[in-house]
Amino acid sequence: MKGVRITVTIIGLIFLLIPLIVTIGASFTTAGYPTFPPKGFSLQWYEKILDRPEYMDAFFNSVKFAFLAAFFSVLLGTIAGLALAKYDVPGKTFIVSLLTSPLTIPHLVLGAALLIYFTPMLLAGKPTGFLIAHIVICVPYAIRFVLTGLSGFDYTLERAGAVLGANPFVVFWKITLPIIRPAILSGAMFAFLISFDNVTVSLFMVSTDMRTLPLELFFHMQDSYDPMVASVSSIVIFISVIFIVIFEKIYGVGKLFGGSH
Amino acid sequence: MENLGYSPDQKMSTGFKLAPKRKVNVFRKYMAAMLLLAPLLLFILAFFVVPMIYVFYLSFIEVEGLDVSNASYSIGNYLTFFTDPYFLRSLWMTIKVSVYAVIIALILGYPIALTMAKSSARVRGYLTLLVASPLLISVVVRNFGWYLLLVPNGVIDQFLMGIGITDSPLKLLFSVPGVVIGLANSFLPFMVLSIATSLYNIDPSLEKASSIIGASPLRTFFTVTLPLSLPGVVAGIVLVFSMSMSSYVTPALMGGANVPVLPIVIYEQINTLFRWTFGSAISYILLGVTLISVTIFSRIFERKFKEVFR
Repeated sequence: MKGVRITVTIIGLIFLLIPLIVTIGASFTTAGYPTFPPKGFSLQWYEKILDRPEYMDAFFNSVKFAFLAAFFSVLLGTIAGLALAKYDVPGKTFIVSLLTSPLTIPHLVLGAALLIYFTPMLLAGKPTGFLIAHIVICVPYAIRFVLTGLSGFDYTLERAGAVLGANPFVVFWKITLPIIRPAILSGAMFAFLISFDNVTVSLFMVSTDMRTLPLELFFHMQDSYDPMVASVSSIVIFISVIFIVIFEKIYGVGKLFGGSH
Repeated sequence: MENLGYSPDQKMSTGFKLAPKRKVNVFRKYMAAMLLLAPLLLFILAFFVVPMIYVFYLSFIEVEGLDVSNASYSIGNYLTFFTDPYFLRSLWMTIKVSVYAVIIALILGYPIALTMAKSSARVRGYLTLLVASPLLISVVVRNFGWYLLLVPNGVIDQFLMGIGITDSPLKLLFSVPGVVIGLANSFLPFMVLSIATSLYNIDPSLEKASSIIGASPLRTFFTVTLPLSLPGVVAGIVLVFSMSMSSYVTPALMGGANVPVLPIVIYEQINTLFRWTFGSAISYILLGVTLISVTIFSRIFERKFKEVFR
């Protein structure tokens, strides 16, 4: 019984992680196409990324949009989260579920709906439309992080600040913000990754001259057999691993997906 | 949560003046809260709620080809879907592929969750990290690894031919098995985390009691642990099923034109053929079918195991 359980657990973990190992392995190949196990060892497919402007542009596009999406999500999410946590707003549960409702609609349907909606508004295929779509998918996470961060917040601290004569802005800046900073930071990083990794919503929002890195990989995987897909994918894995390590230190990766999803 | 927000005029208030002032304060706090909530509420309304309603409205407009002039209100789009064998086959394939993905995720996921529940806190932490981390890596990248493994004459084919199970390359890529493997791989973490959460909540003394009165570990598992973990199992199944139903990227990469699941059809109708009203109708059919099947499934389970689902 125990033996079977441990065996299946190991098989399951291999099943889960093997695509990442294979991708990184294949990126070191010397052959002109990605293979696993790799033929020989070289870093040529990493060096050659620099000669491929489409990957470089896509990378900078991804970082730019993910940064902006994370910034606006956290800004909007923190303001709303503070209001929800601090005041007894009537219908609070309803408001929270309304604000996090984009999580319940599949990205495919959301992307399609926004494309149809944005076209008459002349936002389709525009950077603004792209950014708005990404904020829609990121902002529910930002609210959740802020609400979680504020759930144990001691409001007597704010009152103490006020009694001592600080105005509301000073109270926020010196007391509230430092306490919820880890939650905001985790929310921002999570929003960044959600936007950075997104393919489905982006597919409906891009024009040919504005692609993000996962999209570039998606199209190259479909079109051709390009060894660069392995090395670029590996770089995406390395970047994600850095985020995972930071998350694990400040928040706990398991908690990100635990609870009500 | 108690209202302890800062308000300058409350500081000086004396006992008998408190009552009328308080009323004003409540109103002002409410206004302040609404003012803070307004930007995000408006944003979500304008760019999520309204688009979703607009698309629902569009789904009831029938357009001949791309000519908008002879558009009319009808349920024609829905009728077209449910009378055309191509779309019905696509719906059936979507359900089939999702059910297979759920089964694989359940078979692999339950033992992992059980191992997590039975491990020390430290090991549990490492396992959680290993299981949850892939969720933070783009699905394109995760699918690419499977793509390399499943490619004709790739590692899996060579391994299976090497040990003599098959004598010609299996067509794993661009077929249903490829899509199922890709989906199960993508959503396995959700299954594991859902089941693990409900396993953590089981009172360990129940399992101890079962073994004290002489039940074998296997019997204890089937009469105590498994029934008590059912809420997590149902939650995991619901999550993996609904995510598989609406997954576009994995079927596109691993199945291509050979596995035309509904998300592929929706993408094609909207982004390639520009049949927006019909695409909108299929989107809502996908949402509806997913919601109905998930509801029926969890109702049946909840009714059958009333004691476990509170």
